Amino acid sequence: MVKGLYTAYTGMINQMNKMDVMTNNLANSDTNGFKKEGATSQSFDHVLAIKIKDSSDFWLPKGLGGMSMGVQIGETYTDYDQGSFRVTDNTYDLALEGRGFFAVAFTSKNGQSTMKFTRDGAFTVNTEGYLVTKDGDYVLNAETAAGGGQAVPAGGITTERLPQGAVRVNPNAKIRVDIQGNVYEDENQNPVARIGVVDFADYNYLEKYGENMYQPIEGARVQASTARVRQGTLEMSNVNVVKEMVEMITITRAYETNQKLIQTIDTTLEKAVNNIGAI
Amino acid sequence: MMRSLWSAASGMIAQQTNLDVIANNLSNVNTVGHKKEVAEFKTLLYQTLQARTTTANGEQKPIPAQVGLGTRTASITSYFNQGNMLASDGGITDFAIDGAGFFAVRGEDGNTYYTRNGHFILAVGNNGLVLTNSEGLPVLDVNGRPIELARDIQSSKITVDARGNFLYPDATGNLQPMNFKIGLYQFNNPSGLNKMSQSLYGVTQASGAAINENNNNNIKPSTIRQGYLEGSNVQVADEMVNMIIAQRAYEMNSKAIQASDEMLGQANNLKR
Repeated sequence: MVKGLYTAYTGMINQMNKMDVMTNNLANSDTNGFKKEGATSQSFDHVLAIKIKDSSDFWLPKGLGGMSMGVQIGETYTDYDQGSFRVTDNTYDLALEGRGFFAVAFTSKNGQSTMKFTRDGAFTVNTEGYLVTKDGDYVLNAETAAGGGQAVPAGGITTERLPQGAVRVNPNAKIRVDIQGNVYEDENQNPVARIGVVDFADYNYLEKYGENMYQPIEGARVQASTARVRQGTLEMSNVNVVKEMVEMITITRAYETNQKLIQTIDTTLEKAVNNIGAI
Repeated sequence: MMRSLWSAASGMIAQQTNLDVIANNLSNVNTVGHKKEVAEFKTLLYQTLQARTTTANGEQKPIPAQVGLGTRTASITSYFNQGNMLASDGGITDFAIDGAGFFAVRGEDGNTYYTRNGHFILAVGNNGLVLTNSEGLPVLDVNGRPIELARDIQSSKITVDARGNFLYPDATGNLQPMNFKIGLYQFNNPSGLNKMSQSLYGVTQASGAAINENNNNNIKPSTIRQGYLEGSNVQVADEMVNMIIAQRAYEMNSKAIQASDEMLGQANNLKR
């Protein structure tokens, strides 16, 4: 009896967590390069129920079969599908078409720079001509991005070659970026730099950092990317509003169902407490 | 309480900022030399929802289940694309810049400010006619000095060439230089300029110091078009689409708040 109360309670908590994940998608429906997230539900491990002290069967314990006592979040997954493009015609707005990430050096407060990865290509140049994110973090060039090695060590890829390893251009020249990420100045045929775009073998080893950035954890493997770089374009969020709204209905109703279940069990308990044994 | 309430609130605040920016662009659609701005957003930090996660086929995943906490406005960036050239009606002192340069004016506080608005007028100063913007701030030449023309000239005969030189016809009708040249300045990072009222920009550390086009051969000089004004680079259709996106995104987030609220209400109703 009381077991069911807690089973329904885990259901409510689970739906609340799913709601949190879904709301983050809605809040980021206008965030560049955002990839939508979802949460799966997973039942608790099955436990074997045994009936004991049953006089009808010579007081022998008797197996009843398995039962599951609740639900929890299985995993949160990220949908890395391509977002749609928005043409901005801004020189330093870059979008990636296909699998891959821009490599960015993120410097923490204690001065250590680690490589983070992002699909948000809304860049700008600073006064020295370095290509930076809107928060001022350096966008790394191809050698530095690939130089992180194949396997990612614990604590992420640290990078010390700053700012030499970043993409640098002449800010007063006309900048052209080809689909391979080569950067040209004015009519020059020789690229001055190449933007670092890399990919990972298994996206399960990418952790969300916030600020539109991902950080690889130990076990991730850096590999070459086949993504094409599109200049003057931004990749929009891949959140699908219709799907999220349907998801919201499902979540709120599932939550309501579990709430009703608790109320029903409560009513049954009330009967047991107050009515049984009443004259 | 519930994370979703705050995530959705952050989304609503972000869309409010977005709409503020769009509204400012639309209201300046006819402002000479106005450069449009775009608000951009980033995800907030992520929290671990559950440390141990399992995939559908029962294997443990290397990363914990994470939940994001919403969004924030990362930047409001000005786009310095060229605006349309609009012919002004007989404006001798109307100029448009074709290129990346800015005009310089001397502010009331003595500092130099920069603008793309080339709608200038001739005002009577102490020593002659001074070229000023419509607020009366003197326009500076390549040496950073105000442009003061002799009092006896006929202003309608002034010609300004593409490099910004002031020319005046002599007795035989040949154009002679007046030894004044409008100053044009460029910046390494124009997006870093501090936007001020009256279409003026101020230099900041982020923009870098002004580069005088006259003294620097490494940059591509801009050209000046007399009798033209640079229109705003705001595209109304773009802004309208952005407005729809902003409004709907705002609505969606408010729905998420409503749903979270209902859920909390149901939780409260558990105990009768």
